[in-house]
Amino acid sequence: MQKNSQRTLADGTRISDLINLETREVAMRTLSDPELYELEMERIFAKTWVFLGHETEIPKPGDFMIRDLGSDSVLVARDKDGVHVSLNVCPHRGMKISTLDCGNTPAHVCIYHGWAFKPNGDFIGAPVEKESMHGKLLSKEQLGLKKARVAIYGGLIFATWNIEGPSFEEFLGDAKWYFDTLWCRTDKGMEVLGPPQRFTIRANWKTACEQSASDGFHVLTLHRWLSEVGPYRKPGSEGGGGDLTPEMYGSEVYTAHAHTMRCIELDRKIRRLTGKDPSELSVKEKLEALPPPGVTQEMIPELLRNLSEDQLKIITWRPPQVGNFFPNGLFEFVYIPTPDGVVGVMALHAYVPKGPDKLEFVNWILAEKDTPPELKATMLRLGVQLLGTSGMVEQDDSDTWPHQTIAAKGAVSKHITLKYQAIYETGKPEGWPGPGDVGDGFTKDDTQWRWWQYWHELMTAES
Amino acid sequence: MLQNLLEPTPLPPSVRANRVAIGSPEYNEILDFLYDEAEMLDNLRLAEWGELLTQDLEYNAPLRHTRSTAQFDQTYIRTVQHLHESYGSMMMRVKRITDTKSAWGEDPPSRVKRMVSNVRVYKTDKADEFKVESYLLVTRSRFDFDYFDLIPCVRYDILRRVQGSLKLARREILLDQVVIGTPNLGIIL
Repeated sequence: MQKNSQRTLADGTRISDLINLETREVAMRTLSDPELYELEMERIFAKTWVFLGHETEIPKPGDFMIRDLGSDSVLVARDKDGVHVSLNVCPHRGMKISTLDCGNTPAHVCIYHGWAFKPNGDFIGAPVEKESMHGKLLSKEQLGLKKARVAIYGGLIFATWNIEGPSFEEFLGDAKWYFDTLWCRTDKGMEVLGPPQRFTIRANWKTACEQSASDGFHVLTLHRWLSEVGPYRKPGSEGGGGDLTPEMYGSEVYTAHAHTMRCIELDRKIRRLTGKDPSELSVKEKLEALPPPGVTQEMIPELLRNLSEDQLKIITWRPPQVGNFFPNGLFEFVYIPTPDGVVGVMALHAYVPKGPDKLEFVNWILAEKDTPPELKATMLRLGVQLLGTSGMVEQDDSDTWPHQTIAAKGAVSKHITLKYQAIYETGKPEGWPGPGDVGDGFTKDDTQWRWWQYWHELMTAES
Repeated sequence: MLQNLLEPTPLPPSVRANRVAIGSPEYNEILDFLYDEAEMLDNLRLAEWGELLTQDLEYNAPLRHTRSTAQFDQTYIRTVQHLHESYGSMMMRVKRITDTKSAWGEDPPSRVKRMVSNVRVYKTDKADEFKVESYLLVTRSRFDFDYFDLIPCVRYDILRRVQGSLKLARREILLDQVVIGTPNLGIIL
């Protein structure tokens, strides 16, 4: 059907043949193929909206930070008009404009020949103006940095090179209804608690990202230690006797553009905290018994005001706790049992592609701006201890992905398939008011399969 | 305000006049401590290592940023860090390895060498505490990979004498890399 050479790899394999849409299998080679990687940078990362960071990282005019928009370094900078994202490459001779991680400046001056640019990417000028280093063939307007299109959503910064493409809201689609309960629930919104952790993993970006699309099953085995000594260990149980299966029940949401989430049931926790049947409690009583991560009793009226009745129902029953922004963002809003009660942790990850066999793991830890400082400090420390660079949970993930990447190169193993055949056999749970595709009960593979369906759609689309 | 809550207790200054001479009995005892500690960690004697920690332990590893020379002091970030531990959380890390069957990130364990050098010891205004600076080069080998992950850093420690024995009361690890070049810090530095 697709004879176009753009959709065929050099060895004659059609990209569409890498995925079996009927049996829900993905050829292993997809996880490490260099040719596919180059195409992904063009067809996915230069096309979709990509998560870059949080606006509270650059609060003042002139503040900037350097991030990766797919395989390109970008300058994310603020001026009095807002946040701008521009290619961090000088249009003169291709030098990287800023070699720093962040800072504040009214003018970004290339250290090579001195061309200068405003935070919004506009060309200011080159040295010795009267001698016209930048020539007379192009106007100053034509010599600015290449600008990406920017969207700020709940404080999150997204950008895309697809200037004429779908709006950010269209890109979020049905996921927005749920994401609003996370990012847009309080009056003041969120803030990062510091710059992100960054570390390198020798693994293909998709190993992390297909997992980020709400893989529930891996928790049972890869993170089993949590039930052996960690916060989920049942009192009285011996090491090795733990069981994380109760954490696997709830709803899973998957949307057209492969933004997905696991909405894990809170009923057991609320029953334990209140001694009452959750069905007998009002939304307000449930929020007071177990406020969302970073939310205090004082902030609950804001939630009641800012969210719809249906959204409130979800966040007090099965709130989105982990999920992804396609292509390479992940969020966690988890409720961690501690000796001092349940503490919420909020984190965002970006899995930045750094070549077919390498990714950079970027981990931000957040809180509501109005979260009291003592609680912020507790959330931050718990976040660092469980997630990211040294996180006791996520170090198991980062040690797994390199093996998949290596296996994807074997002459035989590259042809075996990843399987996503655990399928929801029910529809939405009764009374579920949210949009999108929704599965009910124990975790399944539908969310991750949706991730691959959208990958397939983008990789085989007519450009 | 958050910054104040997160900042570890400031380290005492490294005053030249307070240096404990290289080769003196106290210096040698501290050098022994660091070498023995490295040996314990390299050989997975983690429970034994845990006994070297004080209950008020502060253990942290700031982030690093690439900034201009003029802003060198801003290259250390102590809000979000790579490690931000107390005695309780450090012992949880130890127990994850020693008391579970599923600490996959370090099971099978890395083969690690902790090479300690450039050790300087300072007296502090507390008679029972020493400030100890050391360079640490960690080589980490995992599985059958043909490369080593290198983790070079400086450590600023407070060693306290408790009932005759030295204990680790505080450690700050300043890593050289902005983007850490090992897939996790599942090993103790």
